[in-house]
Amino acid sequence: MKRNLLKFSWLVLVIVLLITALAFVSVKKNSRMETNLDKYMPQNHPAFIYSNQAEKWFNIKDAIVIAVENKEGIFNPSTLKKIKDLTKKLQKMREIKKEDVTSLYTADNIVASEGSLDVKKFYKRIPGNKEELEKLRKEVEDNEMVFGRLVSKDETVAIILARIDDDTFNQNFYKKILKLARQYEGPEKIYVAGRPIVEGTLAYLMPKDMKRMVPIVILVIVVVLMLVLGSLKNTFFTLMVVLLSTVWTFGLMAALHVPIYAVTTMIPVMLIAIGVAYGIHLYTHLTLFLKENPGASREEGIEDMLTQMWKPVLMTAVTTMVGFVSLVTSQVYPVKYFGLFSAFGVFVALLLSLGMIPAAIYVFGLPKIRKKEGPHRPEESFYYRITDKIIGGRYIVVIATALLLAVSFYGISRVWISSSFLAKFEKDSEIRKTDRFINQHFGGTTTLNVILEGKEEDTMKRPEVLKTILEMQREAEKLPMVGNSFSLGDFVKRMNKVMHADKKEYETIPDDKNLIAQYLLLYEMSGDPENLWRVVDYKYKKANVTFQLKSDDSKALKEAIKVINGFKDKFKKLGIEIHFAGSGYKALVFTDLLLEGQIKSLLLSLLIVVVLLTIMFKKLSIGLIGSIPITITTAVTFGVMGLLNIPLSSTTALISSIAIGIGIDYAIHFIDRYRIYAHQTGDKLLTSRLTMYHSGRAIFYNALVVIAGFMVLIFSVFPPNRTLGALVSMNMMVSFLGTITIMFAILYMKNTYFKKGGKA
Amino acid sequence: MKLKTITTFALIGFFLGLTVLTAGEKLTGLDVMKKVYYRPAPKDMEADLIMILINSSGDKRVRKIKQFVKDYGKVEKKIMFFLAPADVRNTSFMNWSYDDPNKDDDQWIYLPALKKIKRISSEDKSDYFMGSDFTYDDLGNRLPEEDNHKILREEKLNGEDCYVIESTPRDPDYMYSKTITWVVKGKWIGLKRKFYDEDGEFLKELTVEKYDNIKGYWMLTRVKMHNVQKNHTTIMELRNIKVDIGIPDRMFTERMMKRGIR
Repeated sequence: MKRNLLKFSWLVLVIVLLITALAFVSVKKNSRMETNLDKYMPQNHPAFIYSNQAEKWFNIKDAIVIAVENKEGIFNPSTLKKIKDLTKKLQKMREIKKEDVTSLYTADNIVASEGSLDVKKFYKRIPGNKEELEKLRKEVEDNEMVFGRLVSKDETVAIILARIDDDTFNQNFYKKILKLARQYEGPEKIYVAGRPIVEGTLAYLMPKDMKRMVPIVILVIVVVLMLVLGSLKNTFFTLMVVLLSTVWTFGLMAALHVPIYAVTTMIPVMLIAIGVAYGIHLYTHLTLFLKENPGASREEGIEDMLTQMWKPVLMTAVTTMVGFVSLVTSQVYPVKYFGLFSAFGVFVALLLSLGMIPAAIYVFGLPKIRKKEGPHRPEESFYYRITDKIIGGRYIVVIATALLLAVSFYGISRVWISSSFLAKFEKDSEIRKTDRFINQHFGGTTTLNVILEGKEEDTMKRPEVLKTILEMQREAEKLPMVGNSFSLGDFVKRMNKVMHADKKEYETIPDDKNLIAQYLLLYEMSGDPENLWRVVDYKYKKANVTFQLKSDDSKALKEAIKVINGFKDKFKKLGIEIHFAGSGYKALVFTDLLLEGQIKSLLLSLLIVVVLLTIMFKKLSIGLIGSIPITITTAVTFGVMGLLNIPLSSTTALISSIAIGIGIDYAIHFIDRYRIYAHQTGDKLLTSRLTMYHSGRAIFYNALVVIAGFMVLIFSVFPPNRTLGALVSMNMMVSFLGTITIMFAILYMKNTYFKKGGKA
Repeated sequence: MKLKTITTFALIGFFLGLTVLTAGEKLTGLDVMKKVYYRPAPKDMEADLIMILINSSGDKRVRKIKQFVKDYGKVEKKIMFFLAPADVRNTSFMNWSYDDPNKDDDQWIYLPALKKIKRISSEDKSDYFMGSDFTYDDLGNRLPEEDNHKILREEKLNGEDCYVIESTPRDPDYMYSKTITWVVKGKWIGLKRKFYDEDGEFLKELTVEKYDNIKGYWMLTRVKMHNVQKNHTTIMELRNIKVDIGIPDRMFTERMMKRGIR
C-alpha cells in the first residue's frame, strides 16, 4: 500500500515547494512587526480599562527624558541656551505636541514678595551677566516645583521631558531624537532616556538579535546533525523540516494578518528545538535498519521506517501540539497566538517528516552508511554498557533524583517575578547607564500613577484630603526606590508659600477650603492651567498623584503600591477610592497575568499529557511514568532560576513550554520502543538494552543537536536571549537525562509490559 | 479713544469701531480693521459676565463675575468680582490698562480667604486669560497697526455681508502666524475669526453667537472660542448690561476690591 504511494514522491516534493513559495510571498507581502507594547496588553482587562481611561483624564503619557549635564553647573549662558534650543526643537517635532514638552525653559515661575505676585518664566532671553545668572539660580533653588525635578540639586544637570503618545515611538523617531541630542553635545553631555526609549529599543533589539543568532544556531545544528546522522542528505532534509515549518507558520500568520510580536520570534527557536527530533528519529531508525539489513531496497527501508516510527512520531507531535494549544488559556493575545502558531508549526513539521522525508528518500535514494570496522554488533556498543550501568545503579538514580527535586523545590521557593524592561539590557549598556545617571540626579525614570476618585465635585479642594495625599506621598518617599512624587497638594503648598512672601513655614496646606479654591483659581488665572489638569480633573473630583521610582522592576513597584494601599482606609473615610494607572503599573499587571496564564497552561498541559499518554499506551501507569521527565525538567528549570536569581519574566516562563514539548517526546519514543521490544523479546534486560540502543541513541542525538544549537545563544549580546539559550540547553539536558535514567529506572522496576518474573 | 482691556468688554472695543472713512471709498484691509478697532464704545459699563469652560471630555465649569469698566481716556479701569462658584465668591481682580503701548497693565488680585491684595505683574500678552481660551491679545489689546491686513474676499456669513480679512503679524515671533476675520460691513463687527499657530496650523476659532445694539452701541453679548488643538472651549456671555451709567471713580480702588460685592 505504502509502496504505491511512494510513486507520488515527486509530486509531494513539488507541492511542498509550492506551498513554501506561497508562504514566502505571504510573508513578504503581509508580515508586520508589532513594537507597540500596549498592543500586547489585554485591553479588556479591568486594570487596563481603568488605566487607559485615567491616562485620558490626566493626559498621562510616558516621557522621553533628555538630560543636559554640565559638570561646571548649568547656570551659564551656553547651557541655558542649549536647554532653550532643545526645548524649542522638540516642541517643533511633528511627533510631539508643543505643550507636552517641559523644561526649565517652559516652566512657570510664580514668585511673590509681601505685596506682589509675579507670574513669569524662569528665562526667555538667555541671561547674559553674572547678576542675572545668580538671580535665576536663586529662583530655581527656591522653587521646589522645579528644583530636584527639572534641575538636579547639585545644579549640574537639567532635564527636558517630552511626553509622547504610546504609538509614537519607533526607530526612526528614536534616531531623530538621538541626532538632535548629539548636535548639542560638548562641553555639555546629553543623555536620552525614558520608558518609551527602553520599550522601543527592547522591541527592536530582541528580534534583531534573534535574526543575527538564528543563522549561527542553524549552522551549529547542521554541523552536529552531520556528525550524528553521518549523511549530508539526512542532515539537509532534517533541517528542511524545521526551516519549512517555520516558513509555513510565518506564511500563515502573515496571510491571517497576525502581526509578529516579540514572543512570536521565539517560534523558530521552538521549532528548531522540536522539529529536528522527527528527522533524527526517522533517520536513526532507518540507519539502524540498514545496518541490520544491508542491501535492503529504498522501498523496504522507507516502509520499515514508517511502520515502526509513524506512531511515536505522531504521538510526540500531538502531545507537543497540545502543550502549545494550552497557551490559548492565556489572557495575553501574543501568547495565545504564540501557542496556536507554534502548534501549527509542529503540525507542519509532522506532515513534512512523515511526507517529505520518505518522498525525499525515494527520490534521492537511501543515505550512504558509513562503513565502520567490523560487523554490526550492538552487544558491544556503548548503549548496552550504559543500560547495564543504569540498571545496576537504579536505586542511586532514584535517590539522586529525589535530592535533585528537593534542591529544585528549594530553588522554586525563591523564584521571583520581574516586569522590568531595563533588566533585559546589559548592566553596562548605554541605556542602563543613562537610566542610572538620571536616577542618581532626579526622582526616577519609572512612573507610578495613583488615581484618587472622590464621589463629589471639589473633593480634591478639601484640606484634609490634600493633607492625606501629602502624607501618603511622604510615606511612600521613605522607600529607597521612590525618588519623589507630585500632586495637587504640591501646587497648593507652593501657592500658600508664595502668597505668604515665600516664607518656608507656609509651605503647608491651609485649613480653609475656600482659600485653597482661591489659590487654585489664582493659579488657573496666572499659571498654565494645563499643568493643573495633569494632577486633578476639571471638577476637582479626581486626582492623579505621580510617583517617580528609581527602578522599573516588580519589587519596587509592589513595595510602593503596598505603602500606598496602606492609605486605603483613610481615603475611604474621606469618600475616596484608590486606583493605579500608568505604563509601569500596566507592565506589572501584565507580567502577573502572563505568568499566571503560563503557569496555568503549564499545569493544564501536564495533566493533558498524562491523559494522552494513558490513552496512547492504554495504561495509567505509563501516563504517569511518561510524565516524569517533564515534571523533573520543569522543577529543575524553575529551581535553577530561583537558585541563580534569574527572575521569571515573559521569556523565561515560555521556556517551560519547551520543557513539556520536548521532554515528552523523549519519553514517548523511549516507551514506545520499550513496549515493542518487550513484546518482541519478552526479556526485560534485552528490551532495555535494545531500547537504549535504538531510542536512547536517537534521543541522545536529538539532545546533542539542540543543546549545541542553543548553546550558541549564550554568546548573544542580548541578555534575555542568553538566558533563553542557557535555559533551553539545560532543559534538553535534563529531559534527556531524566528519560534515560529515572524514567527508565522506574519503567524497569515497575515491570510494565512484563509479567512477574520478567517474562512477557 | 479705544477701549483696550482684558475681558469681554474689550472684545467690544476690538470688534466695534468708529466709521472713520466715508462710504464709497475703496477700503484697504487696514481701513476695515481700524473701523472695527476705533468705533464708538460706551464711557462705562456694568454687566454680569458668565464664563463657561468646557474641556475635551465635555466637562463644564461655570464662573459668574460682576464687572465694572470705565474709560478714562489714557487709561481704562476695570474691576471684577467673582459671584460663583461659591468657594471663590468675592475674589476680585482689578486691571488698569494704558494707552501707551510701552506701559504694562497694572493688575491686582484680592483673595477674601487670605484678606490680602497682591499686585500681579504679568509680562506676557500672549498668556491665556483666566485659564480660558482667550489670550489677553485676543481680548482686544492688539493694535491694527501691529499686523499687515489684506482683504481676501467679500462673502455672506449668517446672512450678513462681510469682508474676509487675513492679518499677518509684523513680528515674525508672534504666537499666531495669521488670523482670518469676517467683518460685517457697516456694523464693523468681527463675526468670526480663525487663528493659526506659529507652525501655520489651525489653532482656534472665535465665533460671535449673539450681538445686540445697546443704547446705540453694537455689543457682542455671547462669544465662543474653540481651541481645536486642545479641544477646549470657552463661552463668554454678558448679561444685564448697563452702559453710560456714570460709575464713580471709587469703584476702581483697592478698598472696593476688599469690600466685595454686596
